[in-house]
Amino acid sequence: MSLSRRETLQWMIAAAALPLARLAPPAMAAGTGVAPPFDVADWPDAPPALPPTKGYGRDPDLTMPTVPWPLTLSKAQRATIDLLGDLILPADDRSPGAGALGVGAFIDEWISAPYPTQQADRVIVISGLTWLDRQSTALHAAAFDAIRPTQRGALLDALTVAEPAAAMVQPVAFMDKLRTLFVLGFYSLPEGKADMGYIGDQPTPGPYPGPTPEALAHLSTVLKQMNLPPS
Amino acid sequence: MTQAAIDPAQVTADVIIVGSGAAGGMAAYSLTKAGLRCLMLEAGRDYDPQAEVNMYAPESDAPLRGSGTPDKPFGYFDATVDGGWEVEGEPYTMQEGTQFYWYRPRMLGGRTNHWGRHVPRWGAYDFKPFSRDGLGVDWPIGYDDVAPFYDRVEKMIGVNGGRIELENHPDSPPGCLMPPPKPRITEMLIKATAESLGIPVRPAHTAVLTRDMPDDVAPRSACFNATPCTRGCTIGAMFQTTTSFLPMAKATGKLTVVTDAMVARVTMAGTGAGRGRAAGVEYVDRKTGRRHQVRARAVMLAAGTGETTRLLLNSGGEGQPRGLANSSGQLGRNLTDSTGASFSAYIPALADRPRYNEDGIGGQHIYIPFWLYEQQKRGELDFARGYHFEIGGRFGIPPAAALPRTWGAGLKQAVRSASGATIGLTLRGEMIPNKDTYCEIDPSVKDRFGIPVLRFAFKFSQHEINQVAHGRRTAHAVFKRMNGTILDRDLPPEEIMTAGGEIIHELGTARMGADARSSVVDSYGQSWDVDNLMLIDGSIFASGAHKNPTLTILALALRASERLAARFKSGAFA
Repeated sequence: MSLSRRETLQWMIAAAALPLARLAPPAMAAGTGVAPPFDVADWPDAPPALPPTKGYGRDPDLTMPTVPWPLTLSKAQRATIDLLGDLILPADDRSPGAGALGVGAFIDEWISAPYPTQQADRVIVISGLTWLDRQSTALHAAAFDAIRPTQRGALLDALTVAEPAAAMVQPVAFMDKLRTLFVLGFYSLPEGKADMGYIGDQPTPGPYPGPTPEALAHLSTVLKQMNLPPS
Repeated sequence: MTQAAIDPAQVTADVIIVGSGAAGGMAAYSLTKAGLRCLMLEAGRDYDPQAEVNMYAPESDAPLRGSGTPDKPFGYFDATVDGGWEVEGEPYTMQEGTQFYWYRPRMLGGRTNHWGRHVPRWGAYDFKPFSRDGLGVDWPIGYDDVAPFYDRVEKMIGVNGGRIELENHPDSPPGCLMPPPKPRITEMLIKATAESLGIPVRPAHTAVLTRDMPDDVAPRSACFNATPCTRGCTIGAMFQTTTSFLPMAKATGKLTVVTDAMVARVTMAGTGAGRGRAAGVEYVDRKTGRRHQVRARAVMLAAGTGETTRLLLNSGGEGQPRGLANSSGQLGRNLTDSTGASFSAYIPALADRPRYNEDGIGGQHIYIPFWLYEQQKRGELDFARGYHFEIGGRFGIPPAAALPRTWGAGLKQAVRSASGATIGLTLRGEMIPNKDTYCEIDPSVKDRFGIPVLRFAFKFSQHEINQVAHGRRTAHAVFKRMNGTILDRDLPPEEIMTAGGEIIHELGTARMGADARSSVVDSYGQSWDVDNLMLIDGSIFASGAHKNPTLTILALALRASERLAARFKSGAFA
């Protein structure tokens, strides 16, 4: 399947409308839309829509949260998602990998939800998984889960360039989506909060204690560096 | 809270109160304390925060990590139940080419179960805007008329805050406010930065207790500095009528509450001495679809700006296509909402900052009140009315825009580093009423009960657009002074403004005024046309101010309720 020029233009217009102006902190700025180091596989057609299911409704029992819709990733898709989770947010000395922690189940819950945002995300994620295998097969004659780690890494590098070439706009948008979902799914769990050093969610009776002396000392340094008076 | 086997038609009520939110709750509290028997009709379902609020569960317990959906727009655990931007079978429509979103909680306690809790006092300018700039209209009352009620409301609902000491931001007399919480690091940085640019930062006034508020019936505890207020508060620290006014009014034995009671119209006394007076209301039981008529000596509408207006427009009967209480023709006109826009930046200097518990009381601890009244008066600004900034920025998951496009160990490091390094300024500004913004009855669409629905028309004027553009320049100047990386997209101001209704500050469609020719009600919310009909919600506002409306709704509802009780006492309804 090859792309018509019209479709390509539509992509670019759609991509321009997306909030792709992601922060590239100064150290991260890179890339100028240069072509990826491989021929880009065709982006697949959108998957068929899911059969209609119900959401949790406007008045669910808030004390007993449940997910009423069925999960829809195939075993193979879920395995690839878990693999990607452990690549995107890998295990280190602070926390497990996102795949090992089961965040893939959250991705499945998300893309299976019968709401417009989630269904739009599903098209991106399912198409992206298909594309990933397609690209991997074109380059290495094997699906993404069967290629070598260095080959996977090279693919992910191509999917995280700051300014993708036109042919890579959709694959990169797929990785952006996946990264955002993994970050949400991972860091909202207790393990993720601990990883960020998050302190909170603890009833603390009495007046709010406010910042610690250490936090205040840091602020005072920041203010000095910015030439601002003490707060 | 609702009694099970009431036959509302048999309830002998002095006053029917339509709605149980801020205004209705205040009226029920004030009137029952004055000895009047009240029948409260709430369109939504019964609701008990003690049994239904899930205060402590982490977002990860909820579907989609608690993210907002069309079913629960403000997140799974948000206290709004059974309502929202859409209500099944109860549509509203819009004039072609315009956009308006109408938030309708359908629950006992209304929007007070989920609200911003930011309760600034309005100042002298806010009640006399026409005198100041020749736009809109003046209120028939001024700050001095409302101030004593502000004093009392702050003490009744529990407000924390500090002194502001700025033009048109009146301070509360001693004893009205509870002490404010300490600011967080991000807020202190914004304060230092903004003030270096001549922009003031002050303690916010917030309807959250920082001291216990004992009561025999509905004791409320000081905030314990945890859990999101928008879920509702089982310890009563956040003001909501379901944990305060309603149980207190109920305890007098003089309040009957009927939920699932969708009021369709005000009924009029046909003949005799009561001619020209309201007889009561007709409501539809939302569960059975059956219609009921109930009677009382006075009717108070506190259904919310849109619903109050809708049911008056639908109460005209034969030969009154303009509705009831509308001899001025102003019913439905003068609709406003606050302007809204959000700005954010990643602040490298805040990366990897020392962790501490930043929960505190829900929401901002300090904020930026409008500070350019003098420049505005001198004509130096290209917009006529003010705005304020609410301040955000806490530890947590960094927004996607603050994370680099990377994967692997570097991404984990980036999340840790950026957590707590993003700050936000959220603009809320005043909209001036204009002729293109109103609501009316849709000539063809009815809801599932057969009640004609509202059709909205909405348009911002250049004043609001210029105001938001000014707000963006200001916010970005603050961010740049902190060497921040601005995360906002570069779009025209029209495209960054929230749509009409989205701030949920809709006001003004049955405005008060000095005479029957130009307004729907007098300063007590009493209808010029119908002697025993009073409106006490946001519909009666003559203008919107940039300041959140709920404190003023409560103050005016208290003032109106005491006036009504006095009229009962003087035999006006004998």
